[in-house]
Amino acid sequence: MHEMSLALEVRSICEQELAQLPETRITALGVEVGAFSGVEVDNLQFCLEVVMAERFNGVACEVIREPGTAACLGCGHEFEVERAPFECPECGVFARGISGGQGLKVSYLEVE
Amino acid sequence: MSAERVAVEKKVLSANDQLAAANRERLADLGIFSINLISSPGSGKTTLLEKTVDLLKPQLRLGVVAGDVQTTNDADRLVRHGIPVEAIETGGGCHLDARQVSRSLEALELPGMDLLFIENVGNLVCPSSFDLGESMKVVLMSVTEGEDKPLKYPAAFRRAHALVLTKVDLVPHLQFSMEMAVDNARTINPELQVFTTSSFSGEGLADWSGWLVDNVSRCKRSAEGARS
Repeated sequence: MHEMSLALEVRSICEQELAQLPETRITALGVEVGAFSGVEVDNLQFCLEVVMAERFNGVACEVIREPGTAACLGCGHEFEVERAPFECPECGVFARGISGGQGLKVSYLEVE
Repeated sequence: MSAERVAVEKKVLSANDQLAAANRERLADLGIFSINLISSPGSGKTTLLEKTVDLLKPQLRLGVVAGDVQTTNDADRLVRHGIPVEAIETGGGCHLDARQVSRSLEALELPGMDLLFIENVGNLVCPSSFDLGESMKVVLMSVTEGEDKPLKYPAAFRRAHALVLTKVDLVPHLQFSMEMAVDNARTINPELQVFTTSSFSGEGLADWSGWLVDNVSRCKRSAEGARS
């Protein structure tokens, strides 16, 4: 989608966090990307490395994939899914209710 | 010096989500029903809006926020129908975001408005990720695009409340199965409300407009309920 603008948002969140942590240097960063967030992982990895390197030196950027889960509309069973359509393994009903994997967040920073 | 890990757990789009929540609250307080129209370029968003505006203008006060990468062509077309329109030229951006819509809300005369259309940038991918603060998302798909669009671009269909199939007057000239298209869309989103329309022949526009009017009434009632 628009990984460069997302990477810039990530950097701005890092800068806000670092403002609370004086006298430290950022060494690593983890971003969690849901399977249904619409974000292309390799592309985001590249963009993060580019935008972080503009402001900081030697930050290891980790993109962590969060699996997708769906909740069945028929029987309520929750199961892991890779891609649409989602057929419930318990009852065969197509489940829409994505219950996990839509998120996109800055998970952690490492500082020294 | 040893490195220390600091948990952040902050949503990357939290800045957008906060602005979207503010937009949503503002519109809800005024009892304005708003829809975010999402589709590929050329599926007929502006034409559908022109026809819908003509049908609803006698009974509702309408407004439009129209986004395009470049030009204000869509906004110019809609202004000719005698309603307030705010154009957003994203200048390269592939989607509208909550900040742009917030600025447009500032520019529009909101009190007294019943229904606000937000015409997103023509793109079936990115717009579905950005909450604008709308009441509902509506996805459009023209019959010339092929039945498998919902499977190829599931997020837009999953997050929408309604699907408007457009240009259905062309079906006799195409190898397009309406049934398969609707099946594909419902596979992604079983609760999707489907309207089959042609802005050219007028087919289905009464049902679509009726659905909008029902939602406007519901939205007004809930705003009045919140006030009393």
